[in-house]
Amino acid sequence: MHAYANPTRFLAIAKPLTPWLLGVGLLLVLGGAFAGLTQVPGDYKQGETARILYVHVPSAWLGMGGWTSLAVAGLVQLVWRHPLAGIAARAIAVPGMLFTALCLATGSIWGKPTWGTWWEWDGRMTSMLVLLFLYAGFIALTSGDANGTGGQRQGGTLSRGAAIYALVGAINIPIINRSVIWWNSLHQGPSITLRGSSIDGALLWPLGLTVLGFSLLFGAIVLMRMRRIIADNRVAARLRRLADDEGN
Amino acid sequence: MTGVISGGGQWAYVAAAYGLTALLTGAVLWASWRAMRKAEKRSDALRKDRK
Repeated sequence: MHAYANPTRFLAIAKPLTPWLLGVGLLLVLGGAFAGLTQVPGDYKQGETARILYVHVPSAWLGMGGWTSLAVAGLVQLVWRHPLAGIAARAIAVPGMLFTALCLATGSIWGKPTWGTWWEWDGRMTSMLVLLFLYAGFIALTSGDANGTGGQRQGGTLSRGAAIYALVGAINIPIINRSVIWWNSLHQGPSITLRGSSIDGALLWPLGLTVLGFSLLFGAIVLMRMRRIIADNRVAARLRRLADDEGN
Repeated sequence: MTGVISGGGQWAYVAAAYGLTALLTGAVLWASWRAMRKAEKRSDALRKDRK
């Protein structure tokens, strides 16, 4: 793992990978959305609104998956002090928050014609809203410059407090997952589990395309943000060296 | 049986969900791309100056 701790080695992989993730991700998302809107039938119960599934489910998956990755990155930094782990955690926060917000917004848009309400303070929606606030808190905590201010250390990695915050916040992920089982909810129960899917196969295949496509786009955003942080760190380091040279 | 709002009115909700997703995802992709390009250009320029 530490073989990739060197930013130069990481960039050698990230630079060619970024356009591939972007291109393939966009193709899959466009294909999945096209199929979801035109190639599959409406749901027998919910009608056309069930097509919101193809953007809502990937958003939920990436909002929750984003925080899981962020917590793993926080743990890796705390235990192994891997320099890229903190940078990865910071890079994950914005796309994670984006997809959590999209999950809430598309769920609300889906809820109005289906349940007759935009919002309900039930377990699933409230725990997802908590996740949105957790992302906002993490972004606020780690904002600062590459000289080591705010919740980040010099070199763009996380402070100990930010890494612990990421780990503690991960408690919310199983709560979101089990919320529809633990509490009464307007939200339906789990549709896709390890044992199979309650969604008919005719409606399911575009979901595979959009989940994979949005996941690749998420990866592309994370790589772009990591590259930006690394470039900022290099600029800050060079400016410090220049200032030191002039001082001597 | 359909939901509370049925018929053609449902498509407006579908369009809103897809439109919002496209808009926000596109905006974050664009902003991340621009910020990365700007930072890497600045880093490269500074490295060339040092040589």
